[in-house]
Amino acid sequence: MAATKEFGSSESTIIGPSILISGKLSGDEDLTVRGRVEGELSLTRTLIVEPSGIVKANVAVKNAIVSGVVVGNITATESVELTKEGRMVGDIRSPRVIIVDGASFRGRVDMGNAEPRPASERPATRPAYRPATASARPATVIARPAAVPVRAGKPAPPPPPGKGDKSDKGEAKPAPPPPPAPVLVGEGGKKKVLLKKKK
Amino acid sequence: MATNDQINIIGKGITIRGSLTGAGDLVVEGRVEGQVNLKNHLTIESSGIVEADIRADDLTINGTASGNIDAITKVSINQSAKVNGDIKATRVVIEDGAVFNGSIEMDVKLPDDI
Amino acid sequence: MANTIIGSSIVIDGEISGDEDLVIQGTVKGKISLKESLFVEASGVVEADIEVQNVEIGGRVTGNIAATDKVELKADCRVVGDVRAPRILIADGASFKGNVDMDVKER
Repeated sequence: MAATKEFGSSESTIIGPSILISGKLSGDEDLTVRGRVEGELSLTRTLIVEPSGIVKANVAVKNAIVSGVVVGNITATESVELTKEGRMVGDIRSPRVIIVDGASFRGRVDMGNAEPRPASERPATRPAYRPATASARPATVIARPAAVPVRAGKPAPPPPPGKGDKSDKGEAKPAPPPPPAPVLVGEGGKKKVLLKKKK
Repeated sequence: MATNDQINIIGKGITIRGSLTGAGDLVVEGRVEGQVNLKNHLTIESSGIVEADIRADDLTINGTASGNIDAITKVSINQSAKVNGDIKATRVVIEDGAVFNGSIEMDVKLPDDI
Repeated sequence: MANTIIGSSIVIDGEISGDEDLVIQGTVKGKISLKESLFVEASGVVEADIEVQNVEIGGRVTGNIAATDKVELKADCRVVGDVRAPRILIADGASFKGNVDMDVKER
């Protein structure tokens, strides 16, 4: 019973698995939900909904990481991530939205002004994709991808089949299509332009 | 008509307007406007632009897509992608950095008491 | 085993219920009902009716408190409300205003 001291310096809030909070919850610290929160939730920091957690609320936060269940809308000023265990029904408004393979989601996604990030922010080499099975707690710092730098348009011979050619990325926001060039069909028996045009 | 094990590429200089139907995998590096109906995998490379309603088994987007997407298995919206439209698929993956505006419909299994 | 901590910047307006210990460092308004222990720490502010097994108060509580086991008002707490429990401890230095009901059997 004299246990209170050991929690004294805690800087984050945890809602344990058997706890139900219904009403309005607000705060300026991270919140981890293992139990259930219903109503309204607003934080200036990060909401973490763990696999046992259920949030049935309208949520306004800086970041949200959902591994449990969220029913309601999330507005985040930075990012929303649904991890592979995350399930959500509702709308997401956030400049960054990450949905990992395995997550399930129904609703709208609004990333706002869909401008590609400036090329200056792009790392020199393309970072490896994060594995789809990213852990439930991703690193907070994630490289912000930027627009692919514009390359001088080389004459485009048909690129190798399959993956396309990573070193020759087009503009992220390509100019209107150039006049149709002659189509190279069936070079090497593998490449082929499939053209079936109907009016 | 391509057979299933072929990879078909719509190269960078190409624009297709109209509807595109077929089996076999398709890689778009150019531009497609209209409708796409594909039995297998569609890849939109980072130079590719597809302004079309898309039906495919499975879809990887590195470029730009606008229109509604109906995929049987999976839609992957990668880092460099920019996608507008409504998506229906069993699995949808959005990588960090991708830009997506629209709705997503997957099957969400919720606890009974919610 | 206190799984649940309501941190100092958190404000909850509503109801909290559960079967585990709860530590409050922030603000809770409304109602709290727990089958275990509640700890209201020095920074904690509770404006709520409380139903718990045990409660230990070092902060401020406004509201009625009913505990099935014990209520402990610690040295620097401020409590306004009626307290009802089989065991009630009030430390020297605690400020308290309200009725105490220890459910003494009348003869």
